[in-house]
Amino acid sequence: MSFMLSLLTQERVLVTEEVDFVKAKGVDGEFGVLTGHTPFITLLDPGELVVRKGDSLYSYYVSGGVAEVLPKSMIVLANTVERADDINLELARTARKNAEEALSKPISEIERRTFLLELKRENVRLSIASRRHSPGHPGQISEE
Amino acid sequence: MPSLRSIRGRIKSVKNTRQITKAMEMVASAKMRKAQARVRDTRPYAEKIRELLYRLSAIEAHRPNIFFQVRPVKTIGIILIATDRGLCGPINSNVFKQVNRFMAERPGVNFEFVVVGKKGQDFVRRGGLKAVGSVTGVKDKGQIEEILPATQVAIEEFTKGQWEEVWVFYTEFISTLTQKARSQQLLPILPETEADGTKKPSPFLGEYLYEPDTAEILEVLIPRYFETVVFQRVMENFASEYSARMMAMRNATSNAKEVIYQMTLVYNKLRQAAITREISEIASGADAVQQG
Repeated sequence: MSFMLSLLTQERVLVTEEVDFVKAKGVDGEFGVLTGHTPFITLLDPGELVVRKGDSLYSYYVSGGVAEVLPKSMIVLANTVERADDINLELARTARKNAEEALSKPISEIERRTFLLELKRENVRLSIASRRHSPGHPGQISEE
Repeated sequence: MPSLRSIRGRIKSVKNTRQITKAMEMVASAKMRKAQARVRDTRPYAEKIRELLYRLSAIEAHRPNIFFQVRPVKTIGIILIATDRGLCGPINSNVFKQVNRFMAERPGVNFEFVVVGKKGQDFVRRGGLKAVGSVTGVKDKGQIEEILPATQVAIEEFTKGQWEEVWVFYTEFISTLTQKARSQQLLPILPETEADGTKKPSPFLGEYLYEPDTAEILEVLIPRYFETVVFQRVMENFASEYSARMMAMRNATSNAKEVIYQMTLVYNKLRQAAITREISEIASGADAVQQG
């Protein structure tokens, strides 16, 4: 049994197709969606969104947004999305290092919060990307 | 009869004009293709978030939220989306006409504008209307940040209670040949209605589960809805602008071609007449010499 997934950002459409299973990261924790899910709406935390369709798994990095789940469809209105294959390890590492450095200095509360968020975001991106590079992992991503 | 020299000059100048319009047509058509793709890419998100909020607005428990409340209308905020530049056919004036009609239909109501695009600024200034904010020089690259100043002003005015309704006016992109001036109410968000005014049956009538809770979700969702829809309308407007400009320039180019054709005809006739005259003068001169 499959359901309709729309993964969208304000700037483009990433996925609109029938899928079998979606795992996403809500603010209250990870959740999985199968056909017939109870209607629910959640805000998303930066994290991985895994889509299973048939035997293939696709992975995306979602920086936040809103997801609406209905029994036969799911809409993810994401702030920004990256396909796991597109994550640039170098960039992510530098960004993480910058955030760490900034946090080690005395800064204002607001700045501290933005950098903490940034750090969290980069860690998630890196963990998604590194998983892709370790062959044989259960969450391994197939090529499209 | 114009002289040969003057007509040659005119042909040259029309040829230059044709070159310019031709170049503008090509630039517009290249930009148009990108802008059309962008319209395709941005429509789904705007539609989905709109539908989602329609569904939420139909749920009774959300009524107290200011964004779902209908209040007696004293002031309407209008987000007017126009182009920065001219030479794009009638699309701006069609939108302005629609705005004028809209205002005429609502006597006794104040109107305040948030304007996107220079031509919109001109319209507001010419009409002596009140603008509370304006954004010009927006790029067509699809960067939502550029229009955020405009949407933030509008949302602020609405939450402060200065505006009871917010509408957006823009040109919808239908096809390369067709663009249509459109108006749309953005706030308050009301359950979708059929053409006859009855409530459209929602595909989903139950209540959702919310994480973390309703208030927090709406707080994120509503501004996002507002800016996304306005942003999408700006993208529509770009696609319309380039399409209209391309068509206008194509027409101008073919008009120029026609003018050049007609003038070349006249030019050749004149040239031939001049040659004939010269020959007959020489011939009659030669005759005179022989006879003499």
